[in-house]
Amino acid sequence: MSTAIAEAVRDGRLPGRVWLYSNYHCNLVCTYCLTDSSPKSPRRDLAADRMIDLAAQARDLGFTDLGVTGGEPFLRLDMVDVLLAMAEQLPTVVLSNATLFQGDRLTRVEALAGHPVVIQVSLDYADAGDNDAQRGEDNHATVVAAISRLVERDIRVRIGTTLDPDVEVSDDEQARLCSLHRSLGVADEDHVVRPIVRRGRAEVSDMGVKATAADLPPELTITADGAWWSPFGPTIRGGIPETDLLITRTTHPLHTPAAALLRLVEGRPAGDDARLGIR
Amino acid sequence: MPMTNVSVAAGERLIPLVSAAEAPLLAQPYFSGGDPGPIVAALAHVPEMLEVTLPFVGAVLGPSAIDPRTKEVVILRTSARASCRFCVESHTLVALDSGLSVSEVRALRGELDVDEAFPAEEDRAVIAWCDALVGTGAVAPASRDRLRQGRPDHVVVELTLLAATTLLLNRFCTALELPTSPEVLARLAAAGMTS
Repeated sequence: MSTAIAEAVRDGRLPGRVWLYSNYHCNLVCTYCLTDSSPKSPRRDLAADRMIDLAAQARDLGFTDLGVTGGEPFLRLDMVDVLLAMAEQLPTVVLSNATLFQGDRLTRVEALAGHPVVIQVSLDYADAGDNDAQRGEDNHATVVAAISRLVERDIRVRIGTTLDPDVEVSDDEQARLCSLHRSLGVADEDHVVRPIVRRGRAEVSDMGVKATAADLPPELTITADGAWWSPFGPTIRGGIPETDLLITRTTHPLHTPAAALLRLVEGRPAGDDARLGIR
Repeated sequence: MPMTNVSVAAGERLIPLVSAAEAPLLAQPYFSGGDPGPIVAALAHVPEMLEVTLPFVGAVLGPSAIDPRTKEVVILRTSARASCRFCVESHTLVALDSGLSVSEVRALRGELDVDEAFPAEEDRAVIAWCDALVGTGAVAPASRDRLRQGRPDHVVVELTLLAATTLLLNRFCTALELPTSPEVLARLAAAGMTS
């Protein structure tokens, strides 16, 4: 449908992944949360049929991958069905705090096994104390147990580690975290480490690294409020979406924000690659 | 500098203007030269509309085949008839800068008699066309016929587009209660043209 976008993705000028913010509410209140999410946050849901339609449009435009984030996506009881439908279009990664994978929700998520869906779970430190200081009481133990359950059920798990660049992490600590994820059956290639980005609650908490559009890969990101330059863009501060990384309010058809993103990317100075390596 | 999307307490502006720090990516070029004015700062809430609206408005209101004086006659008269405070205040100064006299500007604003301020039928026909366009329903054929006297069709079309675009802006600025800049208000006061 759109040769220019497909070519840009193929040539590496535009990242292949499109991110969808399924919702903004969360059962946790992490200290560095970009979206200021909590159980009391407004949901800002993307409707299930809209998410599935956007996935199909992304494939038609030439994108290669999908991502779902929030909030905690699995607070939505329709999330597994949405992910299965999206994965029929393109491989999908979903970011989760993994604290809900027990009981009925665990049974439900078993349906993802054998499908091109990866669950990226947040785990920041090998030590429970350090991890739980950022992510909440008993988070470490809950997440470690959940990862084991997911892996046992043949669901591919990635681990996303988010660190404050101002807090030194020793080689020994990093090694222990890697040992832990290997022991859980998560390979090194499925472990990503990134800095806390100083936006949303992280900025209020005086944490993280400042990031502008020049620092962030231009990964088209759709929320209920519009289309953004990056999944680090549609942050919430004081209950209000920040707009400095907003591309368009129009998200449907997806071609509108995708074409605008490509124009912005092509307007950047030659060789101006993302500098901070934030993924 | 947070923005809000909900109505606020009485006395506060309904829609906040986007600041340079909040400007979305597509809107940022409009903020690079300093304060872009309230129309841009309001449209920046919907950047994909800003980036098509501004070139359109610029093309219609900016330099074209019609002389600047006639264009300001259309813009100021239409704005005055539509009771757009923001556009009247802003374009009073532009009209004066375009060569219109103080009495002509006052007449366009409805403060003096048009026939006295504009002796030429050429001008009066344009003003009558603007008056006819502001309102609802059919536009009187007589005013169109009067405008067409001695004017090629493309001029009639462009004058009509100019008046219609001005009306679009009038309603936008009036509905959102856009504020006139302090600089414009100061110049109006100095010229004794405060509305």
